[in-house]
Amino acid sequence: MDIDDILASVSAPRIPQRTLDLQALSRAWVAERVAPELLPYPTDLIDRVMDRIRKQIELVEEMTGNMDPKSNFNLIVVQTELERFKFLIDKHALHYFSLAKSQSSLLSQSETQYLHHHASLLSSHYNASFLSSFPQNLQRLDDTAGGISMIDQPDEDTAVFCRILRDAGTIEVHGEQGSGEVELRRGDVWVVRWNAVKDSTKRGDVELI
Amino acid sequence: MALPLPPGLTPSEMAFLCEMELVTVIPRQRLEGLELLGGPTQPLNPPFPAPLPLWLALLLKRQRRANIRTPPWLRPDSLAAILEFETDTAKEAFSPPPNLPPPTTTSLHVDQTTAYLPATATTLELSPPFLQNSTTSAPPDALPYHWLELSQLLLAAAPDDFEDPDSVRRLLRDLREVRMAKLRKGIEVLDAGAGIKMNGVGGMEIAESRAFIGGVVDGLRYVPSMRSMELWGGGGGGSLCGTE
Repeated sequence: MDIDDILASVSAPRIPQRTLDLQALSRAWVAERVAPELLPYPTDLIDRVMDRIRKQIELVEEMTGNMDPKSNFNLIVVQTELERFKFLIDKHALHYFSLAKSQSSLLSQSETQYLHHHASLLSSHYNASFLSSFPQNLQRLDDTAGGISMIDQPDEDTAVFCRILRDAGTIEVHGEQGSGEVELRRGDVWVVRWNAVKDSTKRGDVELI
Repeated sequence: MALPLPPGLTPSEMAFLCEMELVTVIPRQRLEGLELLGGPTQPLNPPFPAPLPLWLALLLKRQRRANIRTPPWLRPDSLAAILEFETDTAKEAFSPPPNLPPPTTTSLHVDQTTAYLPATATTLELSPPFLQNSTTSAPPDALPYHWLELSQLLLAAAPDDFEDPDSVRRLLRDLREVRMAKLRKGIEVLDAGAGIKMNGVGGMEIAESRAFIGGVVDGLRYVPSMRSMELWGGGGGGSLCGTE
């Protein structure tokens, strides 16, 4: 048994770490789907959850060998839940934008590898197709001359829906009538620009919905 | 491979999140407690009710091993009261959602150098779908965040557990219309940069109107910049051609 469960049976009921991780994982997934830019990668969380999934898969394989019909049903339930977790992780990993390459601290190792590989494939493809026949000074893919950058930046001013989790003071909002301050109180749901709540989300005061 | 969907959750993903909500289940067969990835489940001893996540409750219901008890807010009288509140008392805003539990920490206690989403008991706040808003101990006068998808799933899978499913369906439809009308009317006060407060809005309603509201806000953002471009451009045929 987990040490958390032993403690829980002795003292007041505490929410098990696994449930907190599930909440954090689903919140991270929703945030990545909603936010216009890449958020920091929750390394510890993903490691813990992947570890538990591996152990659970071993348990399932063990239980499959057991032919008892009652435990068969438990097996089905456990497998269903496993599929749901894997869905959350899969959807998290498939999420990409075309970003400037400077954001490497936000990606996991496998995501960084993928990004390098993808970028080199793409650039060699462009070179082979048409870029080599351009004049020399037009051959770059990350040209910033002329006032317009060729690298697509994520649009940081898009509207996001968010729920306030902790009283966190005020944020600046700029409207047509002028700018003002909006107080963030627990339980409120707002539609604001991503820039205004970016830091609060990373701190955990605000969640995207 | 890039994700082809626009930002935001699709309705089926919202339903996936909703299935993590806890509901009260009345078992018909014994089942011992399971050690699931999301936490342990309570052992089922008929006829005592127990809370289970919705996906498990629906699975048991389909196999006729349990009945689901409808949450207090999903009864005809509670829904009628909420509908009356929405139409008469709160003309502009939505009816308030159930209260969040008191926070476990304040913003000042969070260390700036901690990793993103540390997920310990003292730093992670609970929010839907992990609040117990649909068990029998939920308040009957507030619509929780996942009300629409939860009620649809329960009506589809367990209509016999409702005392009057037809009037529930009718009331749900009316509620949905009233709230969507409020959402649409709220568009008129949308501003490019200012925030809009909408407490009590539901998850599926957000999923449905996210694209629209996002589009409106983005369009409003472009209008002033186009206007300023027109001012600079001087006489260069500067009419605002087309819309975003």
